[in-house]
Amino acid sequence: MAEIAETPSDAPDSTTNNESKSISPSSDFDPNTMRNTKPGFKRLILSLSVLFSFLLGVPFLLKSIEIYRAPLPFRDIDSLSKSIESTPLVFPCRFHAVFVGFDRGKTANEWNADKLGFSILGHVKKLTGDDQVCGSCGDNNYSVSVTVDSNTDCISSRGLGLESACLWQCGAASELKLDDDEVVDEYLESVVRGGEGCGYGGKVYTVVVVKRDEEIRAVVGKHRHAWIAGRVSEVDAVEKVVEIFVRVFVNGGKEEGAIGGEFMPVGADGKVVLSFNLLNADPDDWVYDWDFGKVDEVLLTPIIEALGPVANISVESQVLYHTPKSSFSYWDGELESYIFSTKDLPFFVNSNEWHLDTSIAADGRSKVLQVVVYIPSAKECPLLLQLPNGEISRTNSFISPMWGGVIVWNPPGCSRDSDTMHLVRNKISHQDLEKVFEVFMGQLRQLFGLKSSNLYSGASGKFVLLASESGFTEWEVDVLSRQHTCFNLLSCATTLGSLSRLVQSLPRMIIKDEIGKQVKFSLEAANLAQSNASLGIYEASAVSSRQARSLAEDAFFHPSIMSVSYYSFEHCFAVYSPFFLPVSLHVILATVREWRRFKTEQKKYLAWKTKVGSQIAI
Amino acid sequence: MGFPRWMILLLFVICFVSQSICKEEDPEEEFSEELLLKPLPDRKVLAHFHFQSRAPPTETYGPHHRLFPKAIYQLVHKYHIREMELSFTQGRWNYDRWGGNDPISSNNAKPPGVELWAVFDVPQDQVDASWKNLTHSLSGLFCASINFLESSTTYSAPDWGFRQFAGNLRYGALPREAVCTENLTPWLKLLPCRDKAGLSVLMDRPSIYRGFFHSQRLHLTSSEFDPSGSDMGILLEQTLTVVLHPNNPGDSMYSSDSILPPSWSLSSLFGRKVIGKCVLAKSSNVYLQLEGALVSELSSRKKENERDDTDNLDFEGPWSNSGVELSVSPDRVIKEMNSIHKGGPSIMYEFLVGNYSDSKPFDLGLMWKIPVAWSCPQAPLHANRFLMGSGNERGAIALSLKPTKQSEGFQIPDINRDKCSFHVNVFQVVPWYVKVYYHTLQIFVDGKPQSVRHLVTKMRVSPSEDKVSPGVMELALKLPCSIMSAALTVDFDKGFLHIDEYPPDANQGFDIPSAVVSFPDFQASLNFLEDTSSDKSPLLAKLQERSPVLSYTEVLLVPLTTPDFSMPYNVITITCTVFALYFGSLLNVLRRRMGEEERLLKSKAAKNNEQFPLLLSKLYAKLRGRPWEAPQSSTPSSPSSSSLFSTKLLIKVVLVAGVAAGWRYYSG
Repeated sequence: MAEIAETPSDAPDSTTNNESKSISPSSDFDPNTMRNTKPGFKRLILSLSVLFSFLLGVPFLLKSIEIYRAPLPFRDIDSLSKSIESTPLVFPCRFHAVFVGFDRGKTANEWNADKLGFSILGHVKKLTGDDQVCGSCGDNNYSVSVTVDSNTDCISSRGLGLESACLWQCGAASELKLDDDEVVDEYLESVVRGGEGCGYGGKVYTVVVVKRDEEIRAVVGKHRHAWIAGRVSEVDAVEKVVEIFVRVFVNGGKEEGAIGGEFMPVGADGKVVLSFNLLNADPDDWVYDWDFGKVDEVLLTPIIEALGPVANISVESQVLYHTPKSSFSYWDGELESYIFSTKDLPFFVNSNEWHLDTSIAADGRSKVLQVVVYIPSAKECPLLLQLPNGEISRTNSFISPMWGGVIVWNPPGCSRDSDTMHLVRNKISHQDLEKVFEVFMGQLRQLFGLKSSNLYSGASGKFVLLASESGFTEWEVDVLSRQHTCFNLLSCATTLGSLSRLVQSLPRMIIKDEIGKQVKFSLEAANLAQSNASLGIYEASAVSSRQARSLAEDAFFHPSIMSVSYYSFEHCFAVYSPFFLPVSLHVILATVREWRRFKTEQKKYLAWKTKVGSQIAI
Repeated sequence: MGFPRWMILLLFVICFVSQSICKEEDPEEEFSEELLLKPLPDRKVLAHFHFQSRAPPTETYGPHHRLFPKAIYQLVHKYHIREMELSFTQGRWNYDRWGGNDPISSNNAKPPGVELWAVFDVPQDQVDASWKNLTHSLSGLFCASINFLESSTTYSAPDWGFRQFAGNLRYGALPREAVCTENLTPWLKLLPCRDKAGLSVLMDRPSIYRGFFHSQRLHLTSSEFDPSGSDMGILLEQTLTVVLHPNNPGDSMYSSDSILPPSWSLSSLFGRKVIGKCVLAKSSNVYLQLEGALVSELSSRKKENERDDTDNLDFEGPWSNSGVELSVSPDRVIKEMNSIHKGGPSIMYEFLVGNYSDSKPFDLGLMWKIPVAWSCPQAPLHANRFLMGSGNERGAIALSLKPTKQSEGFQIPDINRDKCSFHVNVFQVVPWYVKVYYHTLQIFVDGKPQSVRHLVTKMRVSPSEDKVSPGVMELALKLPCSIMSAALTVDFDKGFLHIDEYPPDANQGFDIPSAVVSFPDFQASLNFLEDTSSDKSPLLAKLQERSPVLSYTEVLLVPLTTPDFSMPYNVITITCTVFALYFGSLLNVLRRRMGEEERLLKSKAAKNNEQFPLLLSKLYAKLRGRPWEAPQSSTPSSPSSSSLFSTKLLIKVVLVAGVAAGWRYYSG
């Protein structure tokens, strides 16, 4: 067929009109270069219409083979991650300083509370500088109020964002006896009314400065207040107050090098499983058992309650046997014990023999924290851990961030009744168990990024930190929940960002509606968390940030993304090319030929016309 | 001086009594390990490990355990499991040679692959959800593809055919699951001593997996959700049953004496010795069982050999009786009471592993002194299942039941002499792509077809639903005692699967899980003369437990029509090519210029003035049914034609090259 179409178009005439023969050509009519009739359009129009109908069909084809992709709000995701990266989440913080006994007779007016307030604010700004730690109070998100309670009058500052009059019962300090810290703490708790009493949503941190004729002593209580008592000048007092506010209440009394907030061991769904393991390295030597049920009831329940705002904690336990550590210790004659040095610690945990499995009860993405109590065998007892500086670790334990902690417990006496072959079951005594749990408490605090000692030494002196029975004081939980919120939002933003990059890089990936919904809800929750945070509602913002993170992870790890990765372009090409390749070749070639032929014929006709015209003119 | 001593004794007794009372009041977790060894008639040795852990109920004991595996406890509580059994098996239990009527073969001879059944303590509508979650958890826990049992096409809900009283029971089997070390290691992790101490030290992987049969089983029973409040707690039973062939190098010496069964010891069987018990185990025993038939055979041989000797035939005293010699003296000999089987009571030798240590390892050996031949107690009927028919369209499943040699004159449980009969239950699950027509069920007794109504007392059939559920058949048959053979046949059509549903290597065929044939009238249990309830060995208690005799049939391999998996592409390609051809020719016809062509042909003919094109054009004209016109001689010279021709050719070549380049660009 193609051969015929290719016949050179310099044939004498087109077939459309037979008149060419009837009209007697003039003497110089050259059929090779001119024609006397208009070239026909029929075939040209035909092939062009076929071509155009094909071109028109292309969008329909593309539409029919299109892959369903739920529309994702890429722009919102970008703006969220940008806003979180550029400006870390900051919470408003409310401070309240109470000065008791700073009485200069009639000079109370001169001693303006407002003035003190401004001086504290200035110091706070100086101390925080411009470090934008996520989960802190930013650089100008403070409100400070001051109450000066003297014997004669009680003046409160105004205009600094807080109505301080209702925060402090004037004259309450007169009954204050500064003997027992615990008593003082409880007394202050009853006197200091938090923000709730005054109609504020957030929490108010209070420092009470009492001028007395005694040694300066600064104590941070279990709740949201601290007190300073002793011979202190106003300037010193202001410095100390500011340090307590900024370093302790806002930053949690952390030191450099502590575990950062982004390594908080909380699962994506806000759940933590504390998995306690008692490892008997060699049960042939001795078998120790513990009364974990009692421990769970007595010691762990308060901790779980206290950490409620940050994480939902569940506890499980097991006792394992035949679990040697994987590295060796050496005998030290002086200490009469086996020494395990710090540099070998990475090889202490024996992942082959210690089957500290993940929990079946824990669902989804909860974080499992392993707490291992290791009882060495007779041939390495007593086992002591050595610090890098050569000292022996007092707690005989170590932690591994995000994994958990190991506590080495040496059985008393390390004596073995080698003669008795039958099993002697020992129980770890309650006192020993309590000691082990004290160590665990410290480890847990460290895992969450808090200090494990009860003394904070700042630039302006030392502060005593009262320890709570539940292990975590209220202000510490506040710090943790702020950090947790912040980290959740950060992780949500990065997860959503990766999802959007992934989706954009694979244009043929199927995205289900469910994913789109999850992304939408996650974004909504993140925005809610941000707005709650700016209002200072810690709990609500923690909850919605957790929700945002878990939804984002749900979307990212959706099974449909994992399984049907994508429907490739090659596949599509292979299916459609056997039809479209030959057909399009035909159509395009036909159109091109017809078009060319039409052009040459048109030229011929024009040539003839000019000729005729010139003849007529002649 | 006597007084204080007496006092001390009294104190001691008081202490002891109080302790024991305390123990009774305060239930404790228990763990025990036991091993049963048994020489088999075909010179192989059966080793049956039995580990049992018990956890007291949570109400009184709390959720923290020191011996009971945490994973299992959490599993029971998360899915509310009342009873569960999971088995991993490699090889097929040889019912002919290894016995079919003893507790081991009824309880521990499992079908090849994975078998899982579970009874849940949840409302009826949540059972399926619990089952699905359970399969996923187990598949993670045991490193196996148990999660394939999640799909509703793979599991079924038997009513009474599989177990007598089954509410909320789900049953699933994966016949093609390969079982290996990766399944054994997590199973061992559930034991407090793993394979570090105690009897499990013997589990040397190469020797275990070299065996002829290997079945690793986990059975758990819990009363945690039982409203009646029995204080049993959770009972976890882990067994490993292996059949090994002893091949010690010393064998070659006696190769001439081939009738003598090969002697063996623990170290020759497993390549290891037991060095002491697992310290956490309450009891750690090894039993050697000599079957009744073997014992009577040995005693008769002894009688023959030492007819004149007046030695009494007492098996309780000498462990080296005339036929066999044990390398270790047993701590106790337990005799079976009155065996219902032919051949007299069997004997169990008990060894306490706690008496052995590093310096004195326990290595039990058995030496044969005289050649003996005996046979194991058999199940009343021997069940075989096979496929009938040929081709890829239809076939039939046949289940043949034949009485075993022993049961030819078996004791009749139904004492009605005239109509002596016994019950047989058959439970069979067939995947949906084997479409069984249950109305075609035929039963042949002694080769003659019998009416189904006569023999079947109870029947429950749930036909398969395509891609939804498998077909389940539960049959209760009542067969006369005098039968020589019985056979059941059911016809089926082979279904077609969607191309996505074929497993890899579909040409191998599809497995139909084993059918279960049980004999509720026959109980597989051993009764021991001595009162073993005092020390309560869990293994002996298990052997004494009355359970119906059960046997599994073979796995069937059904070849299905497998498509050529590249076929869709071929179809697409050929259809597209045909369409393209049609379309192209149509387009060309549409834009054809007839007159011009004819003129061209004429001019060509005139130009060449040759015969052939002339003839061609004549033929062409004839074909087209037009009068042939002589070519006109007015031939226009066409000097440009050749050049135009070549440019066209050039364009074509360029176009093709362009397409090729584009193709490469995209595909590269």
